[in-house]
Amino acid sequence: MERTERLLDLVALLLDAQEPMPWGELRDAFPEDYGAGTADSAERKFERDKAELLELGIPISFVPADDERAAGYVIDKSAYYLPEVGLTPDELAVLYAAGSAALASGAFPGRQDLAHALRKVGFFSDEPLPAPKVRLELGGVADARELPARLEALWTAINARKSVDLEYYSPHSKALTTRRVDPWGLALRRGLWTLVGFCHLRAAPRTFHVHRIRALTVNAQKPRSADFEVPQDFRLDDYVATWPWEFRFHPPVDVVVELSGDLAPLVSRLFPGQASQGERAQVTVRATDLDGLLKYVLSLGAFARVLSPPQAVERLRAMARRVLEAHGGGAR
Amino acid sequence: MSINVDKGRPQVHERLRRLLFLVPFVAKNPGLSVEEVAREAGVSREELLEELDLLTLVGRPPFQPDDFVDIYVDDGKVYVELDQRLSAPPRLTAAEGVALAAAAALLKPAAGDALTGALAKLETVLPPHAVQRYRDMAKTLDVAMEAPDGLATLSQAIVERREAELDYFTAGRGQTERRRVQPHELFSHRGLWYLAAHCLTRGDQRLFRLDRIASLRLTDARFDAPAASGQRALPGIVDAGGEVRVRFEPAVAPWIIERFGDGAKALPDGAVEVTVPGDSERWLTRWILSFGGDAVVLSPQWAKDAVAQAAAASLHSM
Repeated sequence: MERTERLLDLVALLLDAQEPMPWGELRDAFPEDYGAGTADSAERKFERDKAELLELGIPISFVPADDERAAGYVIDKSAYYLPEVGLTPDELAVLYAAGSAALASGAFPGRQDLAHALRKVGFFSDEPLPAPKVRLELGGVADARELPARLEALWTAINARKSVDLEYYSPHSKALTTRRVDPWGLALRRGLWTLVGFCHLRAAPRTFHVHRIRALTVNAQKPRSADFEVPQDFRLDDYVATWPWEFRFHPPVDVVVELSGDLAPLVSRLFPGQASQGERAQVTVRATDLDGLLKYVLSLGAFARVLSPPQAVERLRAMARRVLEAHGGGAR
Repeated sequence: MSINVDKGRPQVHERLRRLLFLVPFVAKNPGLSVEEVAREAGVSREELLEELDLLTLVGRPPFQPDDFVDIYVDDGKVYVELDQRLSAPPRLTAAEGVALAAAAALLKPAAGDALTGALAKLETVLPPHAVQRYRDMAKTLDVAMEAPDGLATLSQAIVERREAELDYFTAGRGQTERRRVQPHELFSHRGLWYLAAHCLTRGDQRLFRLDRIASLRLTDARFDAPAASGQRALPGIVDAGGEVRVRFEPAVAPWIIERFGDGAKALPDGAVEVTVPGDSERWLTRWILSFGGDAVVLSPQWAKDAVAQAAAASLHSM
């Protein structure tokens, strides 16, 4: 019997069963599959089937004997069936818009999982769900052909905690390196995907831009056992720079930035964690990449300026002067 | 809806997942055409027919006639007679939940309450044993987007086909006007978000920039689904301001080459030149300034002037 068919039969059988089903009965129910060969090999075959079902989220388990019933296998029906999610129309709309946008963008990890999740949350909706109507630009690089496949492979490896072998291109050195990495997680920042993981070549956690991965193989040995553990306190945010003033490993500088005019109400969006303060907002930013911060402030326009420290003010002034001169304006 | 994803996983896994959805889906929506069901399941018509063939073999021991799943095609439409207790799909797996939550975060922070509410409910429909795994896995996927205000509201308008009223700033007239629109599609392009909509005020299909929408209100008026437009190329926004040539200094050249590929022309001194559409003066100015002097507009003159003016204004404010 084909494996998919047998697994479906098993689900149908256990969903219908009133009592735990002893191993002996399962063997009798599937004589060709679990009844043939040695007892050992049959049991191993069943264990593999059970593992496959568990991976699909099907709550199959073994319950020991008690006074009332014999030991056997059950599918917990209350944990199996998807209940009505009870999403309001706007909740469904936002999940749906975002989910379909991510799928349509092509560059999103876990697309199979996402597609199934959308089908399931839409299952109880009486209206047909519309086609994707939000389109995002993700993966902002010229050559993104390999990106969807890389993201999908990394997603699989992260979920199964399997190591990957990478060929990684560095635009600094214009060289390829080969390294083994334990993938801990993926982050999207400013349209680019970053892999964070433990790099065996450097013997330390490292970040990798997914679009710079030129080749990728997931360790195929022992697919069901994990190659590594992710540290308990791991947070992607600790490794990926969200803002241009973060992460150049320079000593931090506290910079005071003032936002006025139409930027003042946007303070909490332009500098997260900072509260709105009315018409003139002053924020103190701890910058580990001062130039990154200054370029950002410059790009915000004349309603954003740096108040202190003096060397940051001077640097920003020099930057603005350089732009001005390069575009035909005189020094002022 | 149509969800098609390239196939990557082991066959058995994907097939099982699909089939466990297919039976309850057809049972809940009897009489959909083969094509409609195939689209829902994200497979081709031929693949669906193969899956239906397999399902007719599925049942539970001892395999008496009534022990089989009874799913069939009649006059091009699909029905389920016996579902063998496959009456609802399985709950979401931890991985499905995480993928959905991460996708939803793309619309953060604009989505606000609706997103928070949806994610809280999502967690309640995970199987109890998967909740911890979901929380652990949630740490492995983290997305941050700069989603503009109004994105969630407009998404809702599109999904529910509700007309919206917006105050829109028209650069040409230098003033804000009230428009009533039927929103069709949202998309981002070079860092800006656009709404494609039928404008009832103008009686024509129009594009709106989200950053020029001053205020926005959903109405209760519904509209009919627009005719399918397919994946259009970007509509006429690209040529509006002509092309802008930009030079990038050698210090930033490697990143520009990565971003633009063959579109980045190498110059003899190690710098590169790139041509971008000049459809948005604001975007262009911000973008050039964000390189702090390593990007220089070569032409046209209006773009050079705009950048010079912005730099002068910044300098003046200090």
